[in-house]
Amino acid sequence: MTDPRRFVVVGAGGTGGHLIRGLAPMLEYGLQGSVLVIVDGDSFEPSNAERQDFTDMGNKAVVRAVELQPRYPNTFIVPDERWVVAESPKQQDDDPDNPSTEVGVHDLLVEGDVVYAVVDNFATRKLLFDAARDYQNIDIFSGGNDDNLFGSTYHYQRRDGRDVSDHPGDYHPEFVDPPDRNPGEMSCQERAKIESSTQLLATNMAVAALLLARTHKVILKKEEDAETEIMFDLGLGLSQAYNRRVDALANTNS
Amino acid sequence: MADTGTKAQGLANMASARYGVYQKSDQWAGQTVGELRRKLAGLWQLPAEAVAFKDKQELSNDHVIQPGDHIEFSRRHGEKG
Repeated sequence: MTDPRRFVVVGAGGTGGHLIRGLAPMLEYGLQGSVLVIVDGDSFEPSNAERQDFTDMGNKAVVRAVELQPRYPNTFIVPDERWVVAESPKQQDDDPDNPSTEVGVHDLLVEGDVVYAVVDNFATRKLLFDAARDYQNIDIFSGGNDDNLFGSTYHYQRRDGRDVSDHPGDYHPEFVDPPDRNPGEMSCQERAKIESSTQLLATNMAVAALLLARTHKVILKKEEDAETEIMFDLGLGLSQAYNRRVDALANTNS
Repeated sequence: MADTGTKAQGLANMASARYGVYQKSDQWAGQTVGELRRKLAGLWQLPAEAVAFKDKQELSNDHVIQPGDHIEFSRRHGEKG
């Protein structure tokens, strides 16, 4: 059996919720002793119920962890209620009643992590992917969808200090110059003004399924494959796999 | 009787393009990226701002497509999670 690893899911909303529900049993029965860190500074609201399945109100990471830990006792499920930012706030006097609401990306990630960026913005995705360049061995997945039936996943992988697949910024300008802001860098008032999107449950589930499939294939089974980026449209019934491996022949995609 | 010369020339002018879930090969060699963009805009809902590139190198609309080129128009990654 493959050695246990640490899995970090950043974003516990629509897609993240489905991903976490699939990842927990995958780790429990396939990589016993693994750690599943769920990171989200946001809380559930009644309006989330249309698309997200949750058992209680409160911080999303905590609600997910409380729900799943009893069912998966051999997996360490750890909630982190903070927003991921570039640098952790300067340490002030320890105040357990007023803990920090932000965590620096390099204080969150450790060598060997498998990370999932299933957030609602490119700024946080860029933060995670750029930070990954500082690690010798790491896997960063991104999964996202638009407000309709299009979705995509990307897998950035580093081994022994070298890129196995290209950074997504090589193909996507939004990962270089994000058109949005990281909620972790906003004030509470600014976060409250963020308009909720009108996503579809089916697309969230499809993105999560693709991430789980690639996790099973590449992380658990350690198979090499070329489908490092996948784009799909549920309405059209079409999908395309893109080979973003650094050793791929020029524009020769699967 | 098949015109093998014309057929061979046609194959020599082949290039491919991709955008999101779409992929197509056709006799585009000799045309510019801008011309290709206009042909595909309606069919693929290709936005005007979609960056065109080959081998990770950005291409201008004036770039002349060569036989065997694989042109990719950057499709924005899914934003929401």
